Amino acid sequence: MNAPYLELHTGPGRGYPVFNVVARGDSVDVLKRYTDWYKVRTERGIEGWVAQRDMLSTVLADGSPFTFNLGDRAGFTSHRFEAGVFLYGDYGGASEISAFASYSLTSSLAIELTAGEFLGSASNGTLADIGLAHVFLPEKRFSPFVMLGTGIVHTEPKAQLVQPSDRTDQSAFAGGGFRFYLTRRFFVRGEYRNHIVFTKRNQNEQVDEWKFGFAFFF
Amino acid sequence: MEIRLRVLLLIAAASLTGCASVRHLLGHHGASAEPVADSRPAAQAPADGETLPSDQPPGADTSQNGDESAPRVIEPQVERRKIKVPRIRSQNIELGGYYGTLNIEDFGAHPVYGVQLGYHITEDIFFQAEAGRSKGGFTSFEKLSNVKLLTEGERWFKYYDLSVGYNLFPGEIFLGRNLAMRSTFFVLAGLGATQFGGDQKFTVNFGAGYKVLPADWIAVHVAVEDRVFDTDLLGVSKLASNLEAHLGATVFFGF
Repeated sequence: MNAPYLELHTGPGRGYPVFNVVARGDSVDVLKRYTDWYKVRTERGIEGWVAQRDMLSTVLADGSPFTFNLGDRAGFTSHRFEAGVFLYGDYGGASEISAFASYSLTSSLAIELTAGEFLGSASNGTLADIGLAHVFLPEKRFSPFVMLGTGIVHTEPKAQLVQPSDRTDQSAFAGGGFRFYLTRRFFVRGEYRNHIVFTKRNQNEQVDEWKFGFAFFF
Repeated sequence: MEIRLRVLLLIAAASLTGCASVRHLLGHHGASAEPVADSRPAAQAPADGETLPSDQPPGADTSQNGDESAPRVIEPQVERRKIKVPRIRSQNIELGGYYGTLNIEDFGAHPVYGVQLGYHITEDIFFQAEAGRSKGGFTSFEKLSNVKLLTEGERWFKYYDLSVGYNLFPGEIFLGRNLAMRSTFFVLAGLGATQFGGDQKFTVNFGAGYKVLPADWIAVHVAVEDRVFDTDLLGVSKLASNLEAHLGATVFFGF
């Protein structure tokens, strides 16, 4: 303990009352973490919750400061994995829910996998894509990107009179979007993709896809 | 005699050039060269920073290199105390199940059960995914006319959703004098899909609930949620509102 004192709360939240304090020079054992709160046990065996910002004023037994990697802008610029969900989605007029995961080869180049389900008045379906994304200005809070890829789309048309059969087609897409860093490990992401579905009919189909959602990196 | 002299000269020459086996033979121990070779790595080691004793500056030992024959009194064997910080386990993931009643519009109220997976970002905000199922009954029309609108398989009501939740009023409940449990009222809203009546529908869900934590790692909750989607199952297009009330139990864990 390096700060004048450490406040122990009864629960992991700002409103929970302080019921005990740890004096400077005493030590605590960190038991676990829940969001921004750490459960600690004092030398006298009292357990309580300490806020993250208070924990950062403590030191380890060898004198080095207590740190915890919560994610920051540097991590946003350069990271290995990211994943997220698109809560808003529009696939050719149908509502879409989708999720993505990506693996960064460099800070500006990533391989991305996307899976989604679209539900519309004319048809329902699922789609899965794999693509490459190039991020411009990865060091900025707002970083745009372009992407290129391929995938499959399974469509189940809805028709009241004549029931057309379900179909699975290959597709290719090109698109672009942006990432905007929020805090810690979180960012928002919006994107547009133009799909060309290689149908078995005479004409290929073009589908516009718009998505917006939350993501995190790790 | 001449041969003996040649052998002696050969031995003398060999010992001067440093043939180790011959030097041993003649009682040399090589005291002049080897301590220098020994002391150098010991003196340089602090430059790596690993074995540097905290009370000894890096340059303090170098004077010994000059005095090559001086015996080493203190071997710097002091190692910095290394602390291995154990990983702090988080408890941000919440996994569990629930059981309750779902009122499927026009098809009656029936038992519903499901699983839920949540992730708590801050003390206030969490993400939650739910997947559940129930089975609808018969509409009034079906009961009166004995005409079946749906097959048995189409009466299954299966849904999933992704929601964002907010812990609205965190607090504690007190059971007697000595027992306090954390509790919170929460609201959530999200999007998902519902499969019912041979069709899959884009669904909006929203609800509220109350959660009590008997321990840090376990929670029980009651919640009421509405699942709304557009339907034309009964001939006219309308917004179907399917109210669900359930009791659930979850455990918190993390990595």
